[in-house]
Amino acid sequence: MSEQTQMDTLAYSSRMLSWAPLGKFLFVIAVLIVNIMTSSMLVPFVTLAIGLILMAYSTNFKIPFFVGLALAEALLILAIGAGIISITGDKADPAIWDTNLLWFDIYMTADSFNKAWLILFRGVAGMSVMLAFATSTPIPHLSQALRQIRMPREVSELVVLIYRYGFLLLERMESMWDAAHCRMGFNGFMNTMKTTASIAVGIFTSSSNMADKAQIALDCRNYQGFFPVYNSPPKVGVKWIAFTAAVFVLIYLFGIHTEGWINMAKLFFGEAI
Amino acid sequence: MANILETRDLTYAYTSRQEDPSLDSVSVGISEGVRTVILGANGAGKSTLFYHFNGIFKPKSGEVLYRGKPLEYTREALSVLRNEISVVVQNPDEQIFSATVEEDVAFGPMNMGMERDEIERRIQHSLFKVGMEDYRYRPTIQLSYGQRKRVALAGALATDPKVLILDEPTAGLDPQMSQEVIELVEELISAGTTVIISTHDVDLAYSWADEIHVLRRGKLVYSGKPEPFFEDRVQTALAGLVLPHTFSVNHSVQAIRGLPEAPFPRTNSQMLCKMLPDCDAAGKIRLIPVSDSLPECAGEGRVGIYGSNVRRLFRAAGMTPDFHFNAVEHCLMEAVSGRDAVLYCDESVRAAVLERIQSMEQFGKCVEVVM
Repeated sequence: MSEQTQMDTLAYSSRMLSWAPLGKFLFVIAVLIVNIMTSSMLVPFVTLAIGLILMAYSTNFKIPFFVGLALAEALLILAIGAGIISITGDKADPAIWDTNLLWFDIYMTADSFNKAWLILFRGVAGMSVMLAFATSTPIPHLSQALRQIRMPREVSELVVLIYRYGFLLLERMESMWDAAHCRMGFNGFMNTMKTTASIAVGIFTSSSNMADKAQIALDCRNYQGFFPVYNSPPKVGVKWIAFTAAVFVLIYLFGIHTEGWINMAKLFFGEAI
Repeated sequence: MANILETRDLTYAYTSRQEDPSLDSVSVGISEGVRTVILGANGAGKSTLFYHFNGIFKPKSGEVLYRGKPLEYTREALSVLRNEISVVVQNPDEQIFSATVEEDVAFGPMNMGMERDEIERRIQHSLFKVGMEDYRYRPTIQLSYGQRKRVALAGALATDPKVLILDEPTAGLDPQMSQEVIELVEELISAGTTVIISTHDVDLAYSWADEIHVLRRGKLVYSGKPEPFFEDRVQTALAGLVLPHTFSVNHSVQAIRGLPEAPFPRTNSQMLCKMLPDCDAAGKIRLIPVSDSLPECAGEGRVGIYGSNVRRLFRAAGMTPDFHFNAVEHCLMEAVSGRDAVLYCDESVRAAVLERIQSMEQFGKCVEVVM
């Protein structure tokens, strides 16, 4: 089963499945925004805690391996990015580490060091909140939620169709991939490149063929030009908006109050900084 | 019997540059309530013909008639037509659009603009019919191929069509599920639906069909009862088909015995009946029609169940029958072998079951039915 399918399975079995998708979306967006509104190092930790708690609740306290792996991957990418930020400090400020490596000029300042950590924390925290949303909200629910905010019907229906056919194409790609393996299609670098290109072309051709057949099948089922929805997910209510606003304000105030509490440069390089 | 669907000199080509049309002057009549099979090798034009029946394709020449009236190709007329003629395509992935089973089954009824209560009733009914009621809220991508095929069928049943066209309904299914589909089709026929099956499975066509229409490279080469077609070995081979197993065995055995092939057995029980000496007494079948609840079993012998309602009641009661699938045939085999059997069937298919049991008489054995 591909990671996408696993994610979908997880979303459909989530304990937060019956929550209003638009409410969840609003909450996540609010938390992500407040996460970057203050320069407090502690706010990302609050955001991270919210994300982890939601994810744990959503998955019945069993965070699957692939979600952990996704977080770890994100952490790695963010760490590389943060590392680069930390070593490209403003040369007008005093350096805490200044050296040359090959043709790179490494110039780390207290500010760049702190900024790098802040970005890393914010990134990881944001990822956890977004994953909590992704593991509890199937795409069709999100699409239906989009209809509730008067998103054009064509957009939400395209989302559903892409979701549906995306999985079918993924399934087909996996079969082609396995078949190529059986025929030693991945022996050697050049061979791998050729096989991958052939699979990509095959998938493209399949998708157009699939679209033709889908149109016929839609007509067979008396398609009237739109996808009707039988069971719409719950709508976002005043409670959701009030709760989201309260959390937003609380985290913001907490962030303002705790700005400057943690200085990573001092923690790592001592009081001399 | 009156034709519910008919084509007259129907010709169709996918592109104008196509040398041989996909359908070439096809004139075929589908009788109402008659078990009809469109038989042909791959690429013979079966699916193309089907898509003319519900107006997906418009003939290049000739016409298609539904209940004696030529099809109109306006949006409104096609919408009405497709409410009455439902096509289940071969690959369920082409037919399932919605994310969950429930949404997909509701797709057809919602397109028909039905009331919510009626849609709900139809979802429950059609999922129950295909044995997928426990999967109602499941995402469709998480289903196996067989389950998707059932959902596709449920989607068609939910529109309560007058004509149900099934394109290769047993392709890719395991034998038990294939039997289940045929059983379901029998229930639909008993309820008054005309069912047309497209297949290249000659065994299925031979055992099930009252009438077959054979296509070869877009041309209709035969219409009528199955036996005369399969008697013509050359025609069968030219159509890219082989002889059905039962037909072939009957032919060989009767040739060895020096006896005429007719009457032609279509099932193993009929074959056995024909082969066994006349002196052997047949067993009895206790037929127990079931509507709402399971009556006490008053008979002896192995037990078979037939019909979706009986199947549900047995499951709810935690009972396990001896013959879960193809039970009529199994019970007949028991009876022909001289043993008694008990057959629970849905009230709705009682007449069809009785007809099947009585058909044994022409093969030399009278199987007694005890009600």
